[in-house]
Amino acid sequence: MINLWAYLGISFILFICGIMVMIARKNIIALLLGVELILNAAALNFAAYTKFSNGNLDGHIMSLFIIIIAAAESAVGLGIVIRFFQLRESIHIDDASTLQN
Amino acid sequence: MHLNYLANIGRYIPEILLVILMVGLILIEATYKEDEKDRRYIFITAIIGLVATFVAILFNMGGKPQAIFTNSIVIDDFSSLLKLIMVLGTIAVVYLSRFSKDIYETLKTEFVIMAVGILIGGFLLASANNMLTLYLGIETLSILSYVMASLKKNDERSSEAGLKYALYGGVSAGIMLFGLSHIFGVLGTIQFTGVAAMIPNLTTVQMAILMPSFVLFFAGIGYKIAAVPFHMWSPDVYEGSPTPVTTFFAIVPKIAGIAVLIRVTSVFFTVESPMKVGWIGLMLVVSALTMTVGNVTAIGQKSVKRMLAYSSISHAGIMMASLVMIGDVGIRAVLFYAITYLFMTLVAFYITSIVQDKYGNDHFDRFSGLIYRYPWMAVMMTVVMFSLTGIPPLAGFVAKYNILSSLINSKFYTLAVILGLNSVVSAYYYLKIVRLMVLKQPESEEAIEGFGFLNQMIIVVMTLPIFVLGIFWETIMSFANVSKLFIN
Repeated sequence: MINLWAYLGISFILFICGIMVMIARKNIIALLLGVELILNAAALNFAAYTKFSNGNLDGHIMSLFIIIIAAAESAVGLGIVIRFFQLRESIHIDDASTLQN
Repeated sequence: MHLNYLANIGRYIPEILLVILMVGLILIEATYKEDEKDRRYIFITAIIGLVATFVAILFNMGGKPQAIFTNSIVIDDFSSLLKLIMVLGTIAVVYLSRFSKDIYETLKTEFVIMAVGILIGGFLLASANNMLTLYLGIETLSILSYVMASLKKNDERSSEAGLKYALYGGVSAGIMLFGLSHIFGVLGTIQFTGVAAMIPNLTTVQMAILMPSFVLFFAGIGYKIAAVPFHMWSPDVYEGSPTPVTTFFAIVPKIAGIAVLIRVTSVFFTVESPMKVGWIGLMLVVSALTMTVGNVTAIGQKSVKRMLAYSSISHAGIMMASLVMIGDVGIRAVLFYAITYLFMTLVAFYITSIVQDKYGNDHFDRFSGLIYRYPWMAVMMTVVMFSLTGIPPLAGFVAKYNILSSLINSKFYTLAVILGLNSVVSAYYYLKIVRLMVLKQPESEEAIEGFGFLNQMIIVVMTLPIFVLGIFWETIMSFANVSKLFIN
């Protein structure tokens, strides 16, 4: 039987994976994917709590909004990455270091 | 559930005005941006719209605190005051962007549109009363900020600033949501109203879930106000962005973040519980760290913009310090601090922007001998630097004094001592600029044209409140004491 704790476990693993991507990967596109993982972990949590724990539909609404806003955020993020690529010809995060004194 | 969602729309007029203004600006921009001369219509419209919003907020003030739109938005004097500060800051920044050379001429109109958009996010955040409006506010603020930071399209540094802002912002928003989702799971509601009473009755397991969730939640807000250890993006973004954008970032997102932090503190933690103790402990540690790290790192900077970035980090720390006393005293101290912070930041950034436009960069040495060339500007900068350090009789002193005295009243002696020591440290780098301006000879003798009578007048007008607030602060505070700030 799949219960609340299974969902929470999955979302926790997703969250940790996202954080690990942000720490370990050097490719900026991969970093944006890591952000998506973290946001999806949160959205999954909201949906799971609504289904199994309290039945408050606000949680589903939150999940929907998270999905919408995540799309907007990655659109803007990709736009900036494209600009960065045109200027630097690289999408390696270590190349973004002119500002550190 | 009745169908009277729109019953209280009269109290939401400022935000509606802003939305109409933003849409209108987009239409006007699409029509008029080709012609150099017609572009001023956009600025005129923006200023008129912002002033109208200011007046609408003034009409909103003084009324009974009220939760509208099925409790998702709260209109009270606390949020209205912070909205007034944000609108004033935006008006000043829109004017600054008009004559600044740091933004491309063709993109200035887009800057104005985005500034209004960020302001809408700030408004939403200042009066958020549930998790959804809070998240929407933070994202409205953030997503437009990413674009704004990379506004200088052909400049590597600006794009890099935008990139860093976007990545850090995305992660911290995700972390905050993860925390919020567990808070929702434990408390069973996304509303803020009425949760304070639930917290003491939780079981141990629920407590164990809730504690780390609040730390994660704090990570998201702490990122917006650049609290240590989430401050890493701030100096880079402030340095890389065009100066008007930096000015804007130092005011609107920061004050909106402080607003939401105050709201969360005074909503969730009014009833005694282990959670409250933990939250106060977190605030104590983070605010002490923020002040100290901001000040100590500011000492070694070579760029004035970067120095001001670190100084704004430490100011955020000071504002957070007054959060540890949960209650009205601390909140009034923060409100006063926010008002003085607005004027001090504006003047400091205006002058930095003018100097940067003249010389091409904002290195400390560009300020040397400024008093021999623009005595008026140097005097204003000196006043602001003294005020930022906290020297009487200027407003910065009163603001810091309010926070210190209420800290001592509530017996947070360690934090008070740390705050005092930090003021001493900050004197070093603030007065370094004064020393360079007054005691050093100018680098070259070349004559540079003045910065215009109107701009001088505007800087003077913005410096005056620093004196007025410093001298007549008792009258202002007693006026603020009468009004009921919160809905509770």
